[in-house]
Amino acid sequence: MKSYMLKRVITACFTLLAITLVLFILMQLMPGSPFNDEKLSVEQRLSLYENYGLDQPVIVQFFRYLGKMLRGDFGVSYTISKNTPVMQLVQTRLPVSVRIGGAAVGLGAVLGLALGLVAALKKNTIWDAAATVISVIGVSVPSYVFALVLSYTLGFKLGWFPMLYRTKEALNSSVLPAVSLSMFTMASIARFTKTEMTEILESDYMLFAESRGIYGPALILHHALRNALFPLITVLAPLIVDLMTGSLVVEKIFSIPGVGSLLVSAIQSNDYNLVIALSFIYSAMYLGIMLAVDIFYGIIDPRVRLTRD
Amino acid sequence: MDRICSKEKKASIAVYVPAESDFVLKNSLVTAWPGDAGEAVLEGCFPAQSVWAEVGKRLIRKRSAVLGLLLIVLLCLMAVFGPEMNRYTYSEQNLNRKNLAPGVQILEKTRIINEEETPEIKYWFGSDGFGRDIWTRTWVGTRISLMIALSAAMINMVIGISYGMISGYFGGRTDMLMQRFLEIVHGIPRLVVITLLLLVMRPGMMTIILALVLTEWMGMSRVVRAEVLRVKEQEFILASRTLGAGSIRIMVREILPNSLGPILTQVMLSVPAAIFAEAFLSFAGLGIPAPQCSLGSLIFDGFNCFTLYPYQIIPPAAVMVMLMLGFYLTADALREVLSLKR
Amino acid sequence: MSRDQEILLNIADLDLTFPTAFGPLHAVRGVNIELIRGQALAVVGESGSGKTVTMKAVAGILPPNTKINRGSITFTYSNQEGLQKSTDLLSKGKRWMRRHINGKRIAMVFQDPVSSLNPTMSIGRQLTEGMIWHHKASKKEAWNRAIDLLEEVGIEDAPKWMKCYPHQLSGGMCQRVAIAIALSCQPELLICDEPTTALDVSIQEKMMDLIRRLQRKRGISVIYITHDLGAVARAADMIYVMYAGKIVEKGMTREVLYDPRHPYTWGLLLSMPDLNCENQRLYSIPGSPPTLLQESQGDAFSPRNRYAMIVDDKAEPPMFAITKTHAAATWLLDARAPKVEMPDELKKRLEGMKKEAGDSGRG
Repeated sequence: MKSYMLKRVITACFTLLAITLVLFILMQLMPGSPFNDEKLSVEQRLSLYENYGLDQPVIVQFFRYLGKMLRGDFGVSYTISKNTPVMQLVQTRLPVSVRIGGAAVGLGAVLGLALGLVAALKKNTIWDAAATVISVIGVSVPSYVFALVLSYTLGFKLGWFPMLYRTKEALNSSVLPAVSLSMFTMASIARFTKTEMTEILESDYMLFAESRGIYGPALILHHALRNALFPLITVLAPLIVDLMTGSLVVEKIFSIPGVGSLLVSAIQSNDYNLVIALSFIYSAMYLGIMLAVDIFYGIIDPRVRLTRD
Repeated sequence: MDRICSKEKKASIAVYVPAESDFVLKNSLVTAWPGDAGEAVLEGCFPAQSVWAEVGKRLIRKRSAVLGLLLIVLLCLMAVFGPEMNRYTYSEQNLNRKNLAPGVQILEKTRIINEEETPEIKYWFGSDGFGRDIWTRTWVGTRISLMIALSAAMINMVIGISYGMISGYFGGRTDMLMQRFLEIVHGIPRLVVITLLLLVMRPGMMTIILALVLTEWMGMSRVVRAEVLRVKEQEFILASRTLGAGSIRIMVREILPNSLGPILTQVMLSVPAAIFAEAFLSFAGLGIPAPQCSLGSLIFDGFNCFTLYPYQIIPPAAVMVMLMLGFYLTADALREVLSLKR
Repeated sequence: MSRDQEILLNIADLDLTFPTAFGPLHAVRGVNIELIRGQALAVVGESGSGKTVTMKAVAGILPPNTKINRGSITFTYSNQEGLQKSTDLLSKGKRWMRRHINGKRIAMVFQDPVSSLNPTMSIGRQLTEGMIWHHKASKKEAWNRAIDLLEEVGIEDAPKWMKCYPHQLSGGMCQRVAIAIALSCQPELLICDEPTTALDVSIQEKMMDLIRRLQRKRGISVIYITHDLGAVARAADMIYVMYAGKIVEKGMTREVLYDPRHPYTWGLLLSMPDLNCENQRLYSIPGSPPTLLQESQGDAFSPRNRYAMIVDDKAEPPMFAITKTHAAATWLLDARAPKVEMPDELKKRLEGMKKEAGDSGRG
């Protein structure tokens, strides 16, 4: 298990390194370096280069850049909000995305689990059919279509919830985006739980447990559900990252001031520094959560804890 | 021997009463047993079934598969013929006929003097903010979305199959290196890949396809690798190798046909994923540039005025949902049917 | 049969069908089995012969969509008041079975010990679960009894293993644990489904010895399900040979082993690896068992039978009684059939086996 963890950590580090390298190269290629000014003399330019470490070999520059990124120093925004440190922009936006995404994941996971369990336990009944239909709809209807439908019906026609995000009514205005984002999570979790549960219900150890007289809720809770829940965590992880870091489209539909919409505007207005900073943060979060989930999974599930090496 | 359990005898003899002449050994080679002769008797016990015929047959019996395939075929046909069904083109603007509701017939008095009165004008799905026919635009958009999705799926398939095959078939160090590389690439969030790609390339069909390929090929290669590892160990591969078949021949002629099922399922699943992602890019304003349109850009246009003219967003959104539903249902049914095969 | 030979289990004319994606699978086709209390019985046959399904019916763990066409499974046990009671298990619901029969009176051990233990529950928890569940034992009490059980099945250092998970144990240990779990609620009947097949050859015999020892010590009845006649030769009192959902030969162990009458039993005996005979290739019955999806006409074994007669394709053979306990379902036993002897090779082998058994009996 230890060597497995080590391997995972090393892979994650390499991945982050690779991403940073790509970002670094892109940064070098981007037009609009402050030193391209025609008015600067050669000496001035050289001294500037020296000041900023640009006379160093590229490798040294790269690691200096990496160090800056890891310290959270991403420079300033060029166009969106002139000369505001990128970190400051992100700090105001990220919590909104994380809150809405978290609510969506929670909602989706709970509903999906319930649906999947019903479908597996009541296989080939009307419940199973209903759960399957709901999860098929959840997977094939894109979140933004849900968002539009909800925004039009509950938001515009009925006026129950605000159509656009209002910072003062954060809770109320998070309902529609969270619900529309949760649909996909719900459907994926439901499908996964159903497959996993069905497999477990047909397993030898369930039969063995039944053959010694265990039945009813005790059988399902102690023997089946536990085993189905462990691998669920690995499915949930990428969904969590996707949602926590904000959905571009749903944030746009409800004009939520989150990181997703920040990224869209950054791309549209060519704010390179911001785009690269967001990419780095997103990647780091993604890798961090995936790694944490993997390790957590390894710790709680004896099957992994004892066999992976 | 007449010591027959009477009860049981009655039950079976009711069917057929054996006569003396029945008690003749069919096989005269009794003394040679156990030997090699007489194997022919055993033939014909197990009818061979064509696997794919069976898969097809069972697919047709599944209601969800039929519905899915029907949706796909119908929408593909509409994508091809839909735009030609009326006299408008996707980019033709008529600012006098902006935002017309679907199906409304209007008698329009033209302001152009040298033309006589145009009799009836009818937009089946209404018209958009530039007076363009939504019917035509929807189907043109479907066409473009499908083209993007299908080309991305095809390219993915080629890359994924090659990568997965090589990695799985050769194994050892090759496999190790290729898998480590895959792990690293997989660790890069797709949003970041797309974002960076859009920084360096111009929005357009090619960019979108490239973005989709870059983010989707890993899934396919994993499926293929797993399949190769499964098939590789089976006897017929060994037999084929013993007969002197080369690596490439084995890969193409033996392994590929036997991995077709999961590959097909994966392709079916990657199409709706691509349609979804394309729409997502359009929505972020990074999709197909105007006046061309895709389902995503149409939904985005519709969104901008959807409280005023909700009918403008319904056709593209509905087509997209039906398209994704069709592919998902088919893929799901296919997976289920194939899993029964094993 | 003498008075003390009380029948514990009587399977009469059991007939089962499963609906499958390929059509109805007629897995069990009128099976009769009788088990006497305290005895061991072996059901022998190739995979797919319906032997496991028959025993799953006894344990009440058939898949929910199974169709019971006819038959009964009469089980005689002493109830809470200590009174003897006979019940048709097929007439009882799942709940009743779980509460009154499973674990407490009939327990089962499965073929693959590793997958029959729950991978995420510790050995101790799985062992104590049944006792807490059925006998309302306290945790501590159950724990101590579990340690005793582990020692009884030959696991040393039992307390240490209680906290382990199945993946940390070897296959043989898993099977010992599974047996301990099965015995934890003192069942009267233990069904062992291929108890040694998944295990290493070197420990197969040990496992059989363990089960025999436990059987004698606890005075319980055992049903072995196996495809290996040799494995149960010493353990079983009665042998039932099953083919294509039917019993084709039954009898006392020595009758079936030393005087087999059905060509299928001959094949099974010939396909046993024999360590004593040199320069001999391993025989296997040609072909494979029918799928049971189609109804066969006549004798199901006929296509694979070197002694098949014309009648085999036309009518199904009844059970011909050979002795009081021995019977076989083959037309070769009919008076009109030509005289067919078992293959010479088998004869030689059986003689060798008899001698060996005699030796070990004396020794």
